[in-house]
Amino acid sequence: MGKFWSVLFLMVPVLGVASFAVAPLYRHWLPLDVSEHGHTIDHLFYFILWLTGAVFVVTEVAMFWFMWRYGHDQAKSGKFTHGSHSLEIVWTIIPAATLLFIAIYQMNAWAEAKIINPGAGPDGILGTADDMPATLEVTGRQFEWRLRYPVPPRLRNEALGRPADSKGADDDTDKDLFVVNEMHIPVNEEILINLKSADVLHSFFLPNMRVKQDAVPGMKIPVWFRTMETGTFDIVCAELCGWGHYKMKGRLTIESRAAFDKWLVDKYREQSATHGLQPVPEGDSE
Amino acid sequence: MNRTVPFGLRIGPIVGLLLLVSGCGPSGPPQFHLNMVAIAEMQIPPDQQQQIANVLDAMFGTPDEPFVLPESGLDIKKIQMAAGPVKSDQFGRETGLYRRHCGHCHGTTGDGLGPTAMLLDPYPRDYRQGKFKFKSTERAAKPTTDDLERVVRDGVQGTAMPSFGLLPDAQIKALVEYVKYLSMRGQAESYLTSAMADLSEGEKLSLARETLVDEMLQPIAESWTTARDSIIPTDGENAKPDVPPAESIAKGSELFYGVKGNCAKCHGWSALGDGQTNDYDDWSKAIFEAHQSLDSDVATLDSSSEMSSEERAALAQHVAMLGRALETDALPPRHAMPRNLRQGIYRGGRRPVDVFYRIYAGINGAPMPAVGPASPGAQGTLTPAEIWNLVDYVMSLPYQPISEPPRQQPAVSRAAL
Amino acid sequence: MSATTVGSHAHDDAHHAAHARSFLGTYVFSRDHKIIGMQFLFSTLIWFLIGGLLALGIRWQVAWPWSEMPIIGKMLFAGEGGQISPEFYTVLFTMHATIMIFFVIIPILAGAFGNFLIPLMIGAEDMAFPTLNMMSYWFMWPAFIAMGSSFFVEGGAGSAGWTSYPPLALTAWSGQTLWLIGLTFVGVASMMGSINYMTTIIQMRAPGMTMFRLPMTIWAMFITAILQAFALPVLTAAGFMQLLDRIVGTGFFIPEGWTANNAPLASGGGQPLLWQHLFWFYSHPAVYIMILPAMGMVSDIIACFSRKPLFGYKPMVYSIAGIAGLGFIVWGHHMFVSGMNPALGMTFMVSTMLIALPSAIKTFNWLGTVWGGNIRFTTAMLFALSFVSMFIIGGLSGVFMAATPVDIFIHDTYFIVAHFHYVLFSGTAMGVFGAIYFWFPKMFGRMMNETAGKIHFFFTFLFLNFTFFPMHILGVVGFPRRLADPYHYQTFHHLQPLNEFITWCAIAMVTTQVVFAANFILSMFFGPRAGRNPWHANGLEWQAPSPPGHGNFDFQPIVYRGPYEYASPEVDTDYYPQNEPPPEEEKAEGDKPPPPPAH
Repeated sequence: MGKFWSVLFLMVPVLGVASFAVAPLYRHWLPLDVSEHGHTIDHLFYFILWLTGAVFVVTEVAMFWFMWRYGHDQAKSGKFTHGSHSLEIVWTIIPAATLLFIAIYQMNAWAEAKIINPGAGPDGILGTADDMPATLEVTGRQFEWRLRYPVPPRLRNEALGRPADSKGADDDTDKDLFVVNEMHIPVNEEILINLKSADVLHSFFLPNMRVKQDAVPGMKIPVWFRTMETGTFDIVCAELCGWGHYKMKGRLTIESRAAFDKWLVDKYREQSATHGLQPVPEGDSE
Repeated sequence: MNRTVPFGLRIGPIVGLLLLVSGCGPSGPPQFHLNMVAIAEMQIPPDQQQQIANVLDAMFGTPDEPFVLPESGLDIKKIQMAAGPVKSDQFGRETGLYRRHCGHCHGTTGDGLGPTAMLLDPYPRDYRQGKFKFKSTERAAKPTTDDLERVVRDGVQGTAMPSFGLLPDAQIKALVEYVKYLSMRGQAESYLTSAMADLSEGEKLSLARETLVDEMLQPIAESWTTARDSIIPTDGENAKPDVPPAESIAKGSELFYGVKGNCAKCHGWSALGDGQTNDYDDWSKAIFEAHQSLDSDVATLDSSSEMSSEERAALAQHVAMLGRALETDALPPRHAMPRNLRQGIYRGGRRPVDVFYRIYAGINGAPMPAVGPASPGAQGTLTPAEIWNLVDYVMSLPYQPISEPPRQQPAVSRAAL
Repeated sequence: MSATTVGSHAHDDAHHAAHARSFLGTYVFSRDHKIIGMQFLFSTLIWFLIGGLLALGIRWQVAWPWSEMPIIGKMLFAGEGGQISPEFYTVLFTMHATIMIFFVIIPILAGAFGNFLIPLMIGAEDMAFPTLNMMSYWFMWPAFIAMGSSFFVEGGAGSAGWTSYPPLALTAWSGQTLWLIGLTFVGVASMMGSINYMTTIIQMRAPGMTMFRLPMTIWAMFITAILQAFALPVLTAAGFMQLLDRIVGTGFFIPEGWTANNAPLASGGGQPLLWQHLFWFYSHPAVYIMILPAMGMVSDIIACFSRKPLFGYKPMVYSIAGIAGLGFIVWGHHMFVSGMNPALGMTFMVSTMLIALPSAIKTFNWLGTVWGGNIRFTTAMLFALSFVSMFIIGGLSGVFMAATPVDIFIHDTYFIVAHFHYVLFSGTAMGVFGAIYFWFPKMFGRMMNETAGKIHFFFTFLFLNFTFFPMHILGVVGFPRRLADPYHYQTFHHLQPLNEFITWCAIAMVTTQVVFAANFILSMFFGPRAGRNPWHANGLEWQAPSPPGHGNFDFQPIVYRGPYEYASPEVDTDYYPQNEPPPEEEKAEGDKPPPPPAH
């Protein structure tokens, strides 16, 4: 029976590796990456995957081999050894060095993703960058994403049919655009999001950007990324926020700057509507 | 020494497990439920209850197999898409949309009594009265299809109603049609219930198809199909006058706190929604009144000694029935809270025209009154121009310095260096 | 029985007679560590069943959201046509995790096996504080009742996740209050246990049982007890703070001016992240509380059935201590994307990477133990070997999470779910199964059926891998945890078939446990009688009668060597019990070996 059990244990690395090899063929793999720092994260993922994969295969196969080779045998008895000092040292130092290497190797990626805010100038102080990235505010709320975009006066004038340089823009009550769940951002630009929460914890997760950040009530947390491709993607909530957690789906549309500006204008015009549908004359109802 | 196992210790969890698995409640496919509170209040006997249920079944079908008469003006294709169990066929066409997206709050019957309902504040809408709050029509009129679609698309900020804007258009339209279907069904039910209650001893309600269609279904269907006639116009004299914003806001402020507008009475002198807060909306009011009548009946039962034993038995039965109905088919009534206007949260939408509708026609079913003319050409409490002043003032409230939360001081500023 | 000091093992019949008690005193309110251990064992196994059923509910929803649940769906969710409602789904995963962690894994390791094994393995006649020991079991009952009854209160049981993050947990319904009360009682119960274990192991070892002659199980229990004693008060305090927030409105965990659900709440001025820090300051060490004892027991089983000394005994001890020490400074890796200062993330990343090291050392030593052995593939051994094999997977997947940039992507996805199920189910639970098969003869004096055991092992091993391994792949796609309806996201829409497969395997895995339950119950009454030492093991517990009577040993155990002297060249047999005097000593002093008492 020993041989049978050892083969069963051999199935672990065999099927394990096989499933990881086959999964990408069925799109069961990392979703399309359209952000700049996503490449770094994917690279790190593959690096760790190969490394741990190798360790996984070696240890599991060793396990199989020992089980196969050292099955019960009446004639023999086990080796009487209490261990090996030098072996212990070897298998302490090698993993330690590897783990520390991984730790140091990834620090830059972490810093770029979470520490070096693009809204900061060369002096590292927020709000002093020469070219402020496109900014918006995202507020998680049970159970939707509320977005707030600053609409520049030029676009507000355009939306409300005023001359491009009209001073009327200063008097607009709502200078911002409020939308729900539908996030549009320009491509090839650094995006800076101020993430807030209106009630409980949420987590702002863009699978295709490799971005995830919890939204915490009482905190305004900056999130940034740079998009590389246009398209439509999901916004997911990744932190339990109540019974309707699954409902917190948003849609991210990445588009050209011109299309983005047009969207802003259209939406802002819609938001400023002072006219609704008009009543249908008698006898003309649907 | 042979030890055995303490059996007593294991009984508790096993009993717990059995309770967990067997649970409580009836079984069978999902059913529409009658409005037991109304039935108990109007003391409809069981045979008449059955008649109501039969008529509704014949006219509207069941949650799994809905049915509509052509006179209802409803589109059965859309309704079938929204009804039934959650499924998608081999082409990816989804059915059971209502159960997937709506039912767990609004309930299978559309009574606002889904299993999630009691967790929510405000409660989810009960469609059965045919009253909807956020719409572009006159106060008493039904909402238009566009109004309902807008609510489904944008959600109702400030409530648990989320935005379903990412669903495909056809699905949103199907859901709106289903909401109308549930609403009509509910209206038909309350028509039948009151008709039964109005019958005198021995009299029978005519349940012939023609009679029911003519007297019940047609009027209900018409109120829905003609909703678009009642849209509040926003052009002509109702159009927003071209006044400088600052001036309009100042006028709006006067109206808000003045006798004429009198908004501050409920919304509070601070506009924080801290004025009159002990009113009910129509849905809660019905339950509140049912509770009151129950209490008074119980008091009568306890104190009165002049009742005959039959009367007493009948009253006791009524009390028991109503008590049970209020326990299982109603949520505890809650006060309708006037809106805090400084948060920038607008349930019915944040377009100025939405706020105009709210003030012009009030909010149907809620204590918010209409200040515009009751019918075109009539004289309202406020003129359209004044309503627009109020709109401007209300929408400026969140931007008043007092409304904004204290800003965080930047930890390091350039000047400090 | 009074606490005895080292060496004073008074053992006479009068002593026993003095303790003759009623049925209630003997089996229910017993202060005998073995009975208490079995009380823990049975309670936890029942909760294991409940937790497993809840898991199937979760799997049902993830595979077929909104579809009608067969049979019980009709009864539980008639109002919605047999669907699981989304808020019940949150209850399902909250209570599955809560029950499995606080009612199954921790009490079965420390409560059941800790209690049963510690005095037996160190050669003591009972725990240092028998009454405290009894109370540590009975303090579980208020928790059992609170959590069990919470299913029936308005709004259902706790639904804010087992982590109970505020502010969500503060707005949850009254089930959450019961949840917190239950948690507090569990904490107190564990605290009593851990004090007892520490004292017993330090004070009551048999003569000759030096610290470095302790079996790995005892070392693991000892260090676990220390971990619990230092980390638990933090959780208990945090639980009280959350309870105060909920009941009195203190606002430890809510910020200034916070409202939700249209209700104005208490003043605030707190911080939601504070809870996360306090919670994980306990709950990360708790992860080790949930694995170290299993590691210890597995070490004993592997050495015994490899018929060979444990490879690297001292490195094994040091690595357990290392895991425990480092375990206190890695809690922040649960919070990499929580909004905590990202610079802290770097520190926690390094400490987390380092904690992988002792785990690696342990794995290599287990492999070293198997190498060159004379392996007996008993059911217990198979479970122990599978522990090692599965722990490798769970350990390696942890490296992905320790890498902060990668964690940004896989945080809160099924990759995490796969990781901790590999550690806790495929690891700890398999270790526990192994331990049950191994020590069952000692507990009940009867053997379990090996064939049934192997069938149980084969299918459990097969289906657990089919259940949990694909979850890694779900995680790589970014599939988030805790979603009642994941497929309306276009990113995850195509994952439903894989989830269906996982659910079928999970159902099969739970069904397989019927074999175990039947084997367990039938063997308890009808299994062949086991002698004192059916496995030819070295530990002191195997020299006591099976099952051991009151006072455990019918002789005075004196320890001459470590517990892993298998295949020793000094003796002819391939095992060498710890209390068997060395041959030269026998010659010199003419001591008789302890009489090999016939049962």
